[in-house]
Amino acid sequence: MASSGGELGSLFDHHVQRAVCDTRAKYREGRRPRAVKVYTINLESQYLLIQGVPAVGVMKELVERFALYGAIEQYNALDEYPAEDFTEVYLIKFMNLQSARTAKRKMDEQSFFGGLLHVCYAPEFETVEETRKKLQMRKAYVVKTTENKDHYVTKKKLVTEHKDTEDFREDLHSEMSGFCKAAEALNTSAGNSNPYLPYSCELPLCYFSSKCMCSSRGPVDRASDSSKDGRNHHKTMGHYNHNDSLRKTQINSLKNSVACPGAQKAITSSEAVDRFMPRTTQLQERKRRREDDRKLGTFLQTNPSGNEIMIGPLLPDISKVDMHDDSLNTTANLIRHKLKEVISSVPKPPEDKPEDVHTSHPLKQRRRI
Amino acid sequence: MAQKPKVDPHVGRLGYLQALVTEFQETQSQDAKEQVLANLANFAYDPSNYEYLRQLQVLDLFLDSLSEENETLVEFAIGGLCNLCPDRANKEHILHAGGVPLIINCLSSPNEETVLSAITTLMHLSPPGRSFLPELTATPVVQCMLRFSLSASARLRNLAQIFLEDFCSPRQVAEARSRQAHSALGIPLPRSVAPRQR
Repeated sequence: MASSGGELGSLFDHHVQRAVCDTRAKYREGRRPRAVKVYTINLESQYLLIQGVPAVGVMKELVERFALYGAIEQYNALDEYPAEDFTEVYLIKFMNLQSARTAKRKMDEQSFFGGLLHVCYAPEFETVEETRKKLQMRKAYVVKTTENKDHYVTKKKLVTEHKDTEDFREDLHSEMSGFCKAAEALNTSAGNSNPYLPYSCELPLCYFSSKCMCSSRGPVDRASDSSKDGRNHHKTMGHYNHNDSLRKTQINSLKNSVACPGAQKAITSSEAVDRFMPRTTQLQERKRRREDDRKLGTFLQTNPSGNEIMIGPLLPDISKVDMHDDSLNTTANLIRHKLKEVISSVPKPPEDKPEDVHTSHPLKQRRRI
Repeated sequence: MAQKPKVDPHVGRLGYLQALVTEFQETQSQDAKEQVLANLANFAYDPSNYEYLRQLQVLDLFLDSLSEENETLVEFAIGGLCNLCPDRANKEHILHAGGVPLIINCLSSPNEETVLSAITTLMHLSPPGRSFLPELTATPVVQCMLRFSLSASARLRNLAQIFLEDFCSPRQVAEARSRQAHSALGIPLPRSVAPRQR
């Protein structure tokens, strides 16, 4: 059966509002009741057809309302279009497709001057060039989005592997000494970080000395390229010209995984973008990061009491002053010793009450005899 | 009525898509199949879902549904393919799975949306640059496009014209045109059904 018109401005099947689906299974019911319809790029258009506009001379208001969603190129009333009594039909052409999509989504089924608007696309009004451009833009958008996504996926894989080898990392850290460990951490972070997040390379760089910077700059670029191509972490690590034995143990124990605070930082800074992490994992991450910072801090500052559980800020050590008198020195030492005892005894009970620690900690510290 | 699988709200996008696919495969209700297929086809519009859709083999599900008798299912399936085929990985999957003949078959559907989606899908499947996929520019297909370019429907005319201009060489078009003059009726034009006016 032929349609009532192939001419522009006549009723088409895709203009008709379909009935809302009421037999949907509960788990797939959306927030708004919707018809069963598939939207393809063919159906979407910068041209919108608006039906159900009350015939009370509100064209200007209508256009102003739609203009909220984007620039409008042209608009006109469609007088020949079959319309309900006392309603008018308008055609609005937006400058770009995205505005039209938003406008349709927001304005469809909205009340307007007492009438209910029905908004739909009108691709039949497009010229050949407009259709061609529409298809090309859609293709470009998809290609660009999936290319970006590929790199996020690479980063995601690195993160999940990183979590698996947490234990490996702890062991490695305890084995190696200060600077070497820092260098290793720098290597892994630089080598396996996302090439599209250059700051992830730079963050650990500014932590550590400039010695690392020059030598790892070159490999970073090569590493990023090869990780993009093959995702073969053996190769990326092979490019590094640091300590050979260090590298080998790295490769053997870590294999394809990342292990360093730098990568953690890069990941968390872009957490909001793509990753869904349950809250418990976030808390664990933060705890781990705190511990790593502490460990790095202790390595750099050579804290003798390395096994303390530190809660709250690291207070400055009380300087030891020689009083040039034996009895005075003894007294001073006793007091210092007492203070240390008091400080160290505080963290133990309030593992359940961290707030008390924070408040009681400075109080005890300030007591002077 | 369709079944109601228990889906945890926290299961995420992949879980939801999995539930849809499962329902599609298990349900007996045509309505439910249509709803689920439409849902999947709309998901196929958003590139962020492509990884999941490939994982769940939804592309094969779409290709299989092209052979269904229910015209609505075919319309939704080809719509889904049309939505996701600009992506390179999806395109390769469809080509390797032998999807091109199935999509060419859709050109003879009486449903206008199906035909439009099929044409667009074929255009996206063409390799970039001026090299053409031989199946796409075979004479029957070009002849079909020539007939579409004379259609009363503006949308069909436009798409056919773009296909002939951008995806066929002038020689192929000329050859198809000359053969058409002698051959019997080719692929029938689709019709779009509009409801009667009040």
